[in-house]
Amino acid sequence: MTVLILTSEEDVTADMVVARLHETGTPVMRLDPADLPGKAVLSADFAHGDFDGHLSVNGHVLSMGGLRSVWVRRPGEPAAHASHPSPWLTAETRQALYGMLYSAATRWMNHPRNADQARLKPWQLRVAHLSGFAVPPTVFTTAPRVAQQFAREHGDVVVKSASGPPPGEPGLALPTTLIGPDADFSGVAAGPALLQRYIAKRADIRLTCVGTRLFAARKTAEPGQVDGRYGDTGHSWEPVPVPDRIGKSAHEYVRLAGLAYAAFDFAEDEDGIWWFLECNQSGQFGFVELETGQPVSEAVAQWLAQRGPDRRTPESRR
Amino acid sequence: MRPFTLNYALPQGLANAVTPYHFDPARQLNVLPDGRPAVSDPELLLAAGTTTSTAGSATHFDD
Repeated sequence: MTVLILTSEEDVTADMVVARLHETGTPVMRLDPADLPGKAVLSADFAHGDFDGHLSVNGHVLSMGGLRSVWVRRPGEPAAHASHPSPWLTAETRQALYGMLYSAATRWMNHPRNADQARLKPWQLRVAHLSGFAVPPTVFTTAPRVAQQFAREHGDVVVKSASGPPPGEPGLALPTTLIGPDADFSGVAAGPALLQRYIAKRADIRLTCVGTRLFAARKTAEPGQVDGRYGDTGHSWEPVPVPDRIGKSAHEYVRLAGLAYAAFDFAEDEDGIWWFLECNQSGQFGFVELETGQPVSEAVAQWLAQRGPDRRTPESRR
Repeated sequence: MRPFTLNYALPQGLANAVTPYHFDPARQLNVLPDGRPAVSDPELLLAAGTTTSTAGSATHFDD
């Protein structure tokens, strides 16, 4: 039974899990959907009421009947590396690949359907609240007046992107940025803006959830620091215990979202409260493991190596 | 009109920095020039910055 990892070749964080799977003798196939068609080959025959499918790449072959689990890590767009890529070819390839995989009885980390929903920032805030997390006041709006009112009401607010930097512009970063009520909000009419009350934090918290296992890491913030991803503060990530209440909320969140893996970001304020900022359904963990020594990759490998569907996230079965 | 959020975009610097390892199709992971898996050298990975929360691939936006 083989673990299928959908990710790019340059994803060295996935290497950490591949190495763990090699150590335990668990068969693994690593495939980037961008290499299909071309370097990778797919074939799926529908007969006798089910698919008999195969994937092959770099000399490795996987039969759908031998599929143990799927880890959707950092996959490229299907057909992105084709000799003549096009939106149509991507759509056709996506149908073939994911249609076949959805038909297999396997466990997913994470199922793409759940992942798509889990990426939606407004939805995240709702689920976070239902799970018991503290959530800062937030507004999504295309109305400049609403944005200005929000900023006046809360004083210091931050603006951040909901979906990340514009695709196709890898040289562009969109760090969370502190703005004041006197900003020119006219541009809000040209695109939805995400504004959130600024949390004066003493630390960033990264909570990584793998199945039922939780790994919390803390990085001391500089006074006035806004986005911990950018700039070197001289502080390192350190492992910290997961408070019971936070642990319960995290488990509730991933249960509601149908996620087997999630990376939560919190801002720890002066009172020690962990404010929910976002939950990345495929968030990076390599930097946490390397700095803290927490065995996240081992936990991922162990989860993927289990047999049978994931009972905790029913959507992962099909 | 420029969307409000993009008013706060910044250049990210070298997006295509050369990494000191390459993908080994047979072993299905990245290896150093001496053949060791790249993950066997944590210091190098930290220095390369390819496991950080801003190191997503060009097609992915999960941090």
